[in-house]
Amino acid sequence: MSDAVIALQGITKRYASGRVRVEALRGIDLVIRSGEMVAIMGPSGSGKTTLMEILGCLLQPSEGQYRFKGRPIHQIPPDGLAALRGTELGFVFQSFNLLPRLTALENVELPLSYRGVTARERHARAHEALLRVGLAERLRHLPSELSGGERQRVAIARALINRPSLILADEPTGNLDSRTGEEIMALLHTLHGEGNTVVLVTHDTRIGDQVERRVAIRDGRIETDTRSP
Amino acid sequence: MVLVEAIRQAFRTLRTEKLRSFLTMFGVLWGTASVVFLVSWGLGVQAMMEAGYSRAGKNLMQAWPGVIGEQFTPATDRRELWFTTADVTAVREQVRIIDAVAGEARMWSTVVFREKTFSTDVRGVEPAQTELRGVRMAAGRGISRADLDHRRRVAVLGTEARRRLLGARGGIGSWIRIKGQPFQVIGIHARVGTQLWRDQGEELDAQVWIPLTAFFAFGPRFGSDADIVNTILLRLRDRRDYDDAKREARAIIGRRLRVSATDEEAVRIASSLDQLRKLPLEQTSTVLLLLGTTTLLIGGIGILTMMLDSVQERRQEIGVRLAVGARRRDILGQFFLETFVMTALGGLAGIALGVAGCRVLASFETADLIPLPILRAEIVFIALGVMTGVGIASGIIPAWRAAKVDPSVTLRAE
Ligand SMILES: Nc1ncnc2c1ncn2[C@@H]1O[C@H](COP(=O)(O)OP(=O)(O)O)[C@@H](O)[C@H]1O
Ligand SMILES: [Mg+2]
Repeated sequence: MSDAVIALQGITKRYASGRVRVEALRGIDLVIRSGEMVAIMGPSGSGKTTLMEILGCLLQPSEGQYRFKGRPIHQIPPDGLAALRGTELGFVFQSFNLLPRLTALENVELPLSYRGVTARERHARAHEALLRVGLAERLRHLPSELSGGERQRVAIARALINRPSLILADEPTGNLDSRTGEEIMALLHTLHGEGNTVVLVTHDTRIGDQVERRVAIRDGRIETDTRSP
Repeated sequence: MVLVEAIRQAFRTLRTEKLRSFLTMFGVLWGTASVVFLVSWGLGVQAMMEAGYSRAGKNLMQAWPGVIGEQFTPATDRRELWFTTADVTAVREQVRIIDAVAGEARMWSTVVFREKTFSTDVRGVEPAQTELRGVRMAAGRGISRADLDHRRRVAVLGTEARRRLLGARGGIGSWIRIKGQPFQVIGIHARVGTQLWRDQGEELDAQVWIPLTAFFAFGPRFGSDADIVNTILLRLRDRRDYDDAKREARAIIGRRLRVSATDEEAVRIASSLDQLRKLPLEQTSTVLLLLGTTTLLIGGIGILTMMLDSVQERRQEIGVRLAVGARRRDILGQFFLETFVMTALGGLAGIALGVAGCRVLASFETADLIPLPILRAEIVFIALGVMTGVGIASGIIPAWRAAKVDPSVTLRAE
């Protein structure tokens, strides 16, 4: 099969907030290959978001090794991680996380502006990305002028803009009604169908069951890792 | 993230937070305007003082005869001294540091024009006085060498003397009487204005000048046949020479009068420079600059606190930017530039306001001795410099805070 995009080995994460120490992750081993779509499932507080943040290089694990496309993450300097986030990873959050003062188009352009891409090319590519998520009509709107589903589409367009090796979506349907949620899921499935690697977090089994590979975690440990035929 | 992008972002922040931005920028605006205005005004005060003190003659000192100092004579009846034209000539020949010399005699006299009588300060002068006193002619001419040589009965009037004596009816060519003798008016001085320093007597504007020789023609003074002058005017090339020039004058005059060169009671020397040197003009400028700078600093603190708030409110934004590939230094630069752009906008507007204020005020014609701001290019550069300093100082802390935001925490917030 194809190469591993992600290889986690014995990943733990401890939070020390005040006197209380929380072990959010306790020894995660996980390999995700290029072109896969994986649903990470588990109850609230099981460590799903923490895992996503580690995968997204927004958080350093307390122990264990994380290799991204074979490169150990802990050996990459901060600027290198920023570049990796900007070029290899695309983030989709539960609460959309669009910048409220920027238009849809500008929000989508944002990752490119840190890559030194010219304004002209930024426009063209952001336009194209919004077209792919079916939002060609809403380019100049501010997030506050868009519906929840539309906002999440903008966020997905932003995640796609750099043609990343990996799309990370943390409960992308969590703030949406079920019909809109299904539309967003359909979009993610389409992207997967086009060859993108997608990792998706959800606590909704109906959504998880549509996905070919499901990883269930509980109390910071992987419980099951199942594949549909 | 490039400069243009950060500047656009700064303008976006300004637009969305109009009132708050305006209020904070106003602090910097007022601060830079204060720097420009106060420093210019300080220069104005200085210039006004200098002008006021040099209206008796710029860099001019005057020597009076006195009595021999106690420590220089055993006699109880200390010898009274006087200056003659011969002394003036001797001084003129011997001076090195001093650049021009003239003798002057004076009396208080009634001056009559037709039925009008006016008591004033009448001075016997040499041609050099016009230049030494720094007066310009409003009409006619000044006292000439020929006037002295021929003891001409001619007079030059100050504006005030002319106004009170001749009124609207008389001008150049009018005949006036001084101590009963007829004199013809040959010139009128341009207005000098209020003098912050003067020798004992009227201000220049109220004086009547006649040739020194014509003055002596009124007869012997102080029971002496010699041509006695009241003062010797001595002009310096440079005011820094004042102390040396004083020493030189005392040495020369002392030799002539056979008194000690260090006898300050025998040869009394005074100048407007005595007072001018005592004025704390430089300190005043410094205080004004400090005042302006402090105002600007307070404005800078306003921007600093506003930006700290802004960073706190925009942690989510910072998290998103980090998640999509911004480096810490991009965030640092963005917030620094935002702060700096705001400071610069406020500052430039403040400089414009300060310059405009100075221009408007300086265009007013005012009475004497009301200081008007004097604007110089250096002042604008000082204001720009201080503003840049304040901009950098108030930009660093918020930027540093922004760059320390933890994306994983902020992105979880609902
Ligand atoms: N910044 C943090 N400080 C302390 N504890 C944290 C922090 N973030 C998450 N946790 C804790 O770690 C555990 C896992 O949280 P999280 O990864 O958000 O789970 P999930 O996304 O599955 O709900 C929870 O017990 C949570 O309270
Ligand atoms: Mg979560």
